[in-house]
Amino acid sequence: MHINYWAEVNKDKFGRAGLVMVILLVAIALLAPWLAPYNPWEYAGPPLSSPSWQHPLGTNDVGQDIWSELLYGTRTTLLISISAAAFSTLLGLILGLLAGIYRGVVERIILRLVDVMLVIPVFLIALLVAAYFKPGTTTLIILFSLLLWPPGTRIIWTRVLSIKNQEHFTSARQFGAGTFYLTWRHLIPELYPLLTVSFIQVVRRAVFMEAGLAFLGVFDPVAKSWGLMLHYAREFIFTGAWKWWLLPPALAVSFTITAFALVGYALEAVLDPRLRRQTYAGN
Amino acid sequence: MLEIKNLNVKYPSTQGLLTVLDNINLRLEPGGKLGIVGESGSGKTSLALALMGLSPGKVEGSILYRGRELLSQSSDEWEKLRGETIAMVMQHSGEMLTPLIPLINQVSEAYLKKHSHGKDKAYRQAFHFLEKVGLPERFHRRLPYTLSGGEVQRALLAMALITDPELLILDEPVSSLDALSREEILKLLDELTVERTVLVISHDLSSVARLAERTSVLYCGTLLESGPTGALFQEPHHPYSRALVRSYPTIGGLKELQGIRGDFPPLAERPGGCPFHPRCTQAIEVCAREKPSPRHQDNGRVLSCHRGGVVELLRGEAISRRYLLEKGSGTNKQAAYLEAVKGVDVCLDEGEVYALVGESGSGKTTLGRVLAGIDRPEAGSVYFQGQDIQSLPAKDYKKTRRDLQMLFQNSGEALSHRLNVFELVEEPLIIQNEGSGQTRREAVYNALKWARLPVNDHFLQEYPHHLSGGELQRVAIARALVLEPRVLIADEPSASLDPSVQAKIIKLLLHLQNEKGFALFFITHDLALAARAGDRIGVMHSGRLVEEGPSAAIVQRPLHPYTRQLLQAAPTLGHWKLEAGAAYLPVTTGEAGHNGLCPYLNACPEAGQRCREGMPVLAETDNRKVACHLYD
Repeated sequence: MHINYWAEVNKDKFGRAGLVMVILLVAIALLAPWLAPYNPWEYAGPPLSSPSWQHPLGTNDVGQDIWSELLYGTRTTLLISISAAAFSTLLGLILGLLAGIYRGVVERIILRLVDVMLVIPVFLIALLVAAYFKPGTTTLIILFSLLLWPPGTRIIWTRVLSIKNQEHFTSARQFGAGTFYLTWRHLIPELYPLLTVSFIQVVRRAVFMEAGLAFLGVFDPVAKSWGLMLHYAREFIFTGAWKWWLLPPALAVSFTITAFALVGYALEAVLDPRLRRQTYAGN
Repeated sequence: MLEIKNLNVKYPSTQGLLTVLDNINLRLEPGGKLGIVGESGSGKTSLALALMGLSPGKVEGSILYRGRELLSQSSDEWEKLRGETIAMVMQHSGEMLTPLIPLINQVSEAYLKKHSHGKDKAYRQAFHFLEKVGLPERFHRRLPYTLSGGEVQRALLAMALITDPELLILDEPVSSLDALSREEILKLLDELTVERTVLVISHDLSSVARLAERTSVLYCGTLLESGPTGALFQEPHHPYSRALVRSYPTIGGLKELQGIRGDFPPLAERPGGCPFHPRCTQAIEVCAREKPSPRHQDNGRVLSCHRGGVVELLRGEAISRRYLLEKGSGTNKQAAYLEAVKGVDVCLDEGEVYALVGESGSGKTTLGRVLAGIDRPEAGSVYFQGQDIQSLPAKDYKKTRRDLQMLFQNSGEALSHRLNVFELVEEPLIIQNEGSGQTRREAVYNALKWARLPVNDHFLQEYPHHLSGGELQRVAIARALVLEPRVLIADEPSASLDPSVQAKIIKLLLHLQNEKGFALFFITHDLALAARAGDRIGVMHSGRLVEEGPSAAIVQRPLHPYTRQLLQAAPTLGHWKLEAGAAYLPVTTGEAGHNGLCPYLNACPEAGQRCREGMPVLAETDNRKVACHLYD
């Protein structure tokens, strides 16, 4: 099964929309210094001013430009969520491969660990740990990476077991291929689609968790993050400022999650032939 | 009576003396009948001529006739000997008769050479012998050119017999005759040579099989194998004798004819060491270096082979494998298993095609995978070249993998969709760390050529899902052969293909088997195909081998009721059936011998009391092995 991800996602109109949204977000994150009119860490105008031509979304309680904060917040969110997703998918891949290849005790330990991790309320753990460390970006990336791998691991493990039963795998094995060769040339390439889907799911969860933690105040207070913006804006909810201070970051979070969700669904439909057939039958 | 010791014959040529016969040792007892077979050019006729003292070359060694050294005789003595005690019927017999002298005169002339008394007597004798060889009076005055080949052969026989020789040498006595005249001449020879000592020389195996008690196989002037004729042809030990028997068309064999790979070497380029080594599938380093010395075996066979005859490559001993159906749990502790293969012994010889037949679910694929070393057997072991492959150290195991290849049932699945044709065929070489990029490329091109696939950039870059079923199978074949294995286990290589493509793939496989000399373990559900492909057939039912033997024997006279059923169900295009035997009940493939009885019991129309008492074991009967109480 050769998958042209671009073509497949592009075929689905929701997928296409999601893709456009993700590209937009990435562009904003990369170009934030040029897009933002002010340095969001510096005093830009009178505190708590309403939106105006100088400050499209007004200023916050210490006079920083909210629009600039919002743009820089994209950077933090994407950095944390994408790094966390990359690391946790890698961790999931390694553990899933170990379990699937070596079976036996290794498999049992890893799977029980997955079971335990799936039962634990991840957000609560993150909250407790983060509250203890008062973490910055790096800590959050590590924390999320360590918490979000289990679902991916389990899917990869089942897939590895099924690939091991496929004849091209057996065929390579009977030429005398060692474990490393088989893993590198026959297992991992077959896992690419699965890894992509798993990656996108983790991105979604990480965006949400990062926003949630920051909203609860467990994040580096000077960092620029949508969750922190929500956290600070909450105190001024009685003023009219919430309309331009609280609503935009909330919408940004929703936008990001929606963007990745749409891409994720489109990819899942590609990978699951049953979903696919329904789509085609519907067309 | 006749003893040939260390006989060497060399012919002079522009390149010096060329060895035609190399160190021949033969014994012929009075009344014995010895056959010499070999391809043309192997030195058969040179041997006969040396015995007659007519050899144009340089003859060394010794030929003792009744204790008398023939090689030191004068030509007069030879002449006398030829006239009285040794007679020869030459090849291309028509040329031996003078075209313008009536037959009976020529025959009586031979008599006159030996006996000086009276023309009348000679005439009467000639009359008598011509009658005896089946030429009645109306032929006697005919001129030789008006006679047919068979009649000339009879006349020559009469000429040879009229001197009442002790030793009769027949050089290709019937080779050029049609089937019916050949049969008549052979019958005649049978009768006329009862009390005589005969040396038959021929490339025609069936005439030697009819006339000779012992047979020797001659190749490039060297005797490779000797033994009792029946045993030799039934079970040739030397790779050359086996190849020779395989190339000979018989009416019983359904197998496709195969030539011997390579070409017969010209006299001037006679290979050193064992002369057969360049064409032999099992030659090792010593074969090219040293000439093998003849070794006597206990069953009256003499064999000249460094490897001790055809070697056994792969052997499975008491192989069992089962699959877990249901784990035992809770109160029901007993786990449920499917016994896919139960105690099967099987072996595969060098350069042999073994066809394993059975319905789906009989355990063929499981057995194949265990033999290929892909799956571990629950019990029993697999030996490759005498070594247990499951207990090999990792390094040797990887080496073994080069020699033991499997061709999977569904080539579409066995070829990774992520690799293109070139990468697919190169993969085994990469895995085995074979050569550099350039040598690998050449090896891939060669393998693709063997599989009759195009070697252009466009095709090399195709991915499996763009190829047809036949092409996929060819790519799989190229991939399996690129390492030049000794054994190929082909699991239903053609089952998913349409008949014309199937025929091509099977032909290709068999051709490559012959050319490359690997042993082929051919798994199929189609008995007709098995008979075409296999030297031997094994029939499998419910995880057990129920019958195994030479394919001609199995197909012509199946013994096990299950084999007979398979044969009845074999595809035919006419309305006739091979045999209108008893009606067979539908087979229910049960677990192999689940209750210690023959698994075929419920479907067998011939089941008797004994079948309800115990499990039959595979036992030798009638040139094969069969596991059935009917033949205990």
